[in-house]
Amino acid sequence: MVKSNKFLKRFPLYIILILLCLIIISPLLIVLSSSLRMPGNMKSPLVLFSQFTLESYIQAFNKMNFPVEFLNSLMTTGGSVLVIVLISTMAAYPISRIKNRLSRGLYYFFIAGLIIPSQMVIVPVAQTFGALHIPNTRFTPMIMFITCSLPFSTFLYAGFMKSVPVEIEESAYLDGAGLWTRFHKIVFPLLKPATVSAVITQGLWIWNDYFFPMVFISKAEQYSLPVGMIQFLGDRENPAQWNVLFASCVLCALPLIVLFAVLQKQFINGIAAGAVKG
Amino acid sequence: MRKGVAALETRKSGRGHAFSSPIFPKKMYAFVIPALAMFLVFWIFPIFQMFFYSVTNFDGVNYHYSFVGLKNFMQLLKEGTMTNAISNTLIYTLLVVVGTNVIGLALAMALNMKLVGKSFFRTSAFLPTLFSSIVVGFIWSYVYMPDSGMIASIMNFFGLDGSNFNILGDMHSALYGIAIVDIWKSFGTTMIIYLAGLQTVDESLIEAGRIDGCSEWQLICRIKLPLISSTVTINVILSVIAGLKAFDYAFIMTNGGPGKATNTLMFTIYKIAFTDQMMGKASALSVVSFFVIIIITIGMLVFMNKREVEL
Repeated sequence: MVKSNKFLKRFPLYIILILLCLIIISPLLIVLSSSLRMPGNMKSPLVLFSQFTLESYIQAFNKMNFPVEFLNSLMTTGGSVLVIVLISTMAAYPISRIKNRLSRGLYYFFIAGLIIPSQMVIVPVAQTFGALHIPNTRFTPMIMFITCSLPFSTFLYAGFMKSVPVEIEESAYLDGAGLWTRFHKIVFPLLKPATVSAVITQGLWIWNDYFFPMVFISKAEQYSLPVGMIQFLGDRENPAQWNVLFASCVLCALPLIVLFAVLQKQFINGIAAGAVKG
Repeated sequence: MRKGVAALETRKSGRGHAFSSPIFPKKMYAFVIPALAMFLVFWIFPIFQMFFYSVTNFDGVNYHYSFVGLKNFMQLLKEGTMTNAISNTLIYTLLVVVGTNVIGLALAMALNMKLVGKSFFRTSAFLPTLFSSIVVGFIWSYVYMPDSGMIASIMNFFGLDGSNFNILGDMHSALYGIAIVDIWKSFGTTMIIYLAGLQTVDESLIEAGRIDGCSEWQLICRIKLPLISSTVTINVILSVIAGLKAFDYAFIMTNGGPGKATNTLMFTIYKIAFTDQMMGKASALSVVSFFVIIIITIGMLVFMNKREVEL
């Protein structure tokens, strides 16, 4: 009796939540349903899942050259995240361990980079790349991915490193462990929650970013998934193309959705930890 | 070995992390070098260069550019580009900050209760954050499409005239249109952060409030909100930073139009630099944006710090 009362009291809340969720996911449902239709069939889009064929997917798959773009995305994201984790933990180590003005200065210097948008400095950045004779390869955007992610990652690691007790390092020092050994054998493994958070938050935006690849890459075989999607911008004018477009949207988002389904807890905790701890 | 023990003793005797601590010697700063080098070369140095280009007529190709003084700035001001881009960006930022935080906080409050299907609601709210903004731009181009788009179809279904619906084609509503898209994509992250904050609230305080006869609303305003004020600060700062960087949907969905209605600062910089090939002028607008962003960030930090103490 008490239980059903409580449910009744919360009934309006459920209605609101369900409505809100419907509003949020209705565009996604229509995209999914339309992508499973024959190309060119956009009649009565509100009738969901009225047809089931993979024809639009096959066209999208070939048009966007999915395997190549997927591999490019995978390599640049993986490579960038690896370097980010390595060099930002290294940078955070002295900043959080040595307590003096230089460390504080460096800390704020890195954080200040957070507020600078990449579009703002893209002109001089492109000039710098030219002056240093850095060629335009599929790996060129990685340099900017790593650079842009340094402020957040360093800030995150410096915050987490405070919770690694100094005493552990002191006893390791007495056992004769050098700086590098202490760093990668003791401190780094203890920072695992921060690393999960850094990999997920930074991996998410790098995988989804199209801006740097768009500026630095010109050859189609070097495109990553999001920058490949830009080539379809003109297709929006042609109603016959929407089904294929939606199929490519799904294909572009699919890898992350699969990953999220598997690692849901890590995603949620990683994003929360990134903001709360820092 | 003995040196180490001695060092430990000086540490414990209150001198803290002494400058010449053998455990954390100054040569540790070598660890900063890779990150610092990249940061200086590819982020800080370009900012200085941006200031330099802003007073030249550099076009990106020809290196025989000349010094033009404040001409770029005067031009931006005279054309109205500068004020238009700044006001669009500020309106957009305000909409996104309020939208993501209100929806994110309300949803987090609801999902913090014991509900059936909690994880389903959480997952569907979080889903849009996984998409690339280019994909989101495509999806919402369709949602907003006049005549046959999603909203127009729904209006037709209910007997309304969907052909008049064209939010992105109207100068007065286009900016709101793209702000809604941004809110749709980003409130999931805000919600997750609020949820994490709410989970740190001590349940016994809520219980005590309830016994003292607080209404639900009072519990939220007087107990929960003050206790998560640092989470509110973080979320507001993050969304302000994201709002000031607004570029994606102006670029993908409206191309700055109709007219100049959705020209945000970042999109205008991009357009002047890459479409008009006027790097000097683009850099001048970058310099302006730089100061706008700095002023807003500092103002916000000061205000938020004060507020957090008061609460």
